[in-house]
Amino acid sequence: MDIGPEPHVKRVAKYLACGFTAGSRFQVVAKGLTDQGVAQDRLTSELFDRLLKDSKIRKKDVRKIVATGYGRNAVSIADTTITEITCHAVGVRRLVPNAMTIIDIGGEDSKLIRLDKSGKVRDFAMNDRCAAGTGRFLEVVARRLGVELPRLGEMAAHTRNPAAISSMCVVFAETEIIGLLTAGTPAEDIIAGVQAAIAARVMSMIGRKADLPIVFTGGVAMITGMDRALESALGQEVTVAPDPQMTGALGAAILACNQVA
Amino acid sequence: MRDGPEQITLRQWDQRYQQLQKAGIDQPSYGGPLSRHIEDGDTRLLKLRYDNSAAALRLWNFLLTEEDRLHEARDRGKKIVGTMKDLGTVPVMAYSLDNVVAFYPDGAWWIPCVMELNAGLLSIADSLGIDESFCPVRAMLGAFVTGAHFPIPELLICSVGATCDDFSAIAQRLNSLGYPMLWWEIPHRRAPEPGEESVKLPGGFSAPRCQVEFVKSELQRVRKALEEFAGQCLSDEKLSAGIKKANQVRRLLAQLRRLVFTAGLCPMPALEMLIAEMLAIHFCSDRDETITVVKELLDEGKKRIKAGTGLLGADAARIFWVNPVADLQVMNLLEDCGGRICGTEYMFTHALDAIPQDLPPMDALARMALADPMVGSSADRASRICAEIRRFDAEAVVISRIPGASHCVLEGQIIGEIVQAEFDVPVLEIEVPSLTDSIAQALRTRLEALVETVRERRKR
Repeated sequence: MDIGPEPHVKRVAKYLACGFTAGSRFQVVAKGLTDQGVAQDRLTSELFDRLLKDSKIRKKDVRKIVATGYGRNAVSIADTTITEITCHAVGVRRLVPNAMTIIDIGGEDSKLIRLDKSGKVRDFAMNDRCAAGTGRFLEVVARRLGVELPRLGEMAAHTRNPAAISSMCVVFAETEIIGLLTAGTPAEDIIAGVQAAIAARVMSMIGRKADLPIVFTGGVAMITGMDRALESALGQEVTVAPDPQMTGALGAAILACNQVA
Repeated sequence: MRDGPEQITLRQWDQRYQQLQKAGIDQPSYGGPLSRHIEDGDTRLLKLRYDNSAAALRLWNFLLTEEDRLHEARDRGKKIVGTMKDLGTVPVMAYSLDNVVAFYPDGAWWIPCVMELNAGLLSIADSLGIDESFCPVRAMLGAFVTGAHFPIPELLICSVGATCDDFSAIAQRLNSLGYPMLWWEIPHRRAPEPGEESVKLPGGFSAPRCQVEFVKSELQRVRKALEEFAGQCLSDEKLSAGIKKANQVRRLLAQLRRLVFTAGLCPMPALEMLIAEMLAIHFCSDRDETITVVKELLDEGKKRIKAGTGLLGADAARIFWVNPVADLQVMNLLEDCGGRICGTEYMFTHALDAIPQDLPPMDALARMALADPMVGSSADRASRICAEIRRFDAEAVVISRIPGASHCVLEGQIIGEIVQAEFDVPVLEIEVPSLTDSIAQALRTRLEALVETVRERRKR
């Protein structure tokens, strides 16, 4: 009924993507990040307000808010919630239209999502009980090596002999890393070894083979070399999604638009 | 509170109880308001949601008074047998004797959940060297040590062999603490080889005649032990009568499952259905009362279907559930997330099948014991699950892992692969510890995602 584009805003605990539809065309008009914290609702509200202001969107023009992610039920301004499984599937398919397998590795969890040919979720698996297959492992390594997280990838690129990390537990692996450092193992080898360990943990969710194309999303996908570590573990090509931290938020924005349309 | 079917809290049940009393509800001797069970320390009950029918009230009161019933049975001079690991065969034999009551001490695995760890049973197990890397059945050790729950049975009969490693270790530990046990061996069921006589088992599996004969000989030892224990003969006539009675329970449960799992609108919630199915194992220490309880549930279900009323939305995702949950709250959670149970495999499916009555009773019981899906391969178990998925038209499968339970580690993957190869439905594996409060959000995300997946697939 309305003339012109209607903005549809979706928010996640950390991220926000704002899209609108003009006819059947979806377009992102705003996106942003904020650090996560205990006050999920307040942080989200602040991000929402900031993005609206920056993109000159009026609050009253917002037709629908869909929240996703672990903190989705804490977002008081959300109209509805959809799990990140569904949202990632929709977001990734938007960016990589023929994607069949999604590997999402975040700071606290990792997910495997299998899609059917139409892009609908066929099956999924999640790991949020063990830090060994998540970005948390890389955070521990960065802290132990005294480097910033984003630098880990470029350091690992110089590895000649990735260290073998045998512990399945991040806590014990940290002890191993201390031992390796004491023995003079180069930092780049340790980082590469940790990347390989994370990839190995994710393998247990994937099984023997994943349908191609495999798309890698989540914050850990931004660490250089993680895609190669996954490829090495899988024996299959892995593509990093464009803007990998935003795929869930993007999916939620699209779903919000679909609900209003 | 509305008049129709509803899931209500324990506190709301106090109000509902008064309504039912005013309406003249017919209560058994163990009846009364559900909230009284909190005084026994069953504080988890405060967090659950219950069906609001009189039938559900009876079911819950029946379950939660089992310990009292066992103590009363002892006071009346009955002998108490603890039948362990074997789920559903030896109790049939024991209940064929009129001065014997049998129960399943392994069922103590639910006590840590129901009492929200207050009873310290798992700590006792830790101190005995059976820590959290073992199955929650280890709570049974604590129950034996404290004697604060069920009366300690005078005779323990425990199956061993094709049983999970965890349970065997826990039972052996119990034995080492000075609790004598009659061990009987159940072999790993295998398919007959060429040249071997094949015997059809209830539920559809087959086994070679030599395995049936072996199990029969083991059950003959159990029979003799029960006779000596009871001081009376356990004749074939008594066994046949016991089988007939057990089959009454099994037939009623089969009707209840079919009614609830195939109804358009779900007439009975997952939690009450789980409890009802569990009655098949050892009749909650009262065989006749079990029949009454299940009949009432069945009648309530039929009444609701006839009235076109139900508890969940018509679009609830039809979920087949594999393995019982340590935390009963998860059954409520599934429904909160938009799912409904349409099919179950709670590790004792054979106890829901009718025991053959056209065979000599010991032969029939031996076949029944061998029909246990858990004593064969995971692929066997999966085949049975597939048959039920087809029967109840399930749209997705949840395999609930029990932390520390050794049989679960690879079984889920095997079952998942076989089910997906046959039906291409989503299969979700989750782990459910005794208390899920801290991981409730993680479980919710998984279950909601599964329901979303099912609903999207319906649009195909």
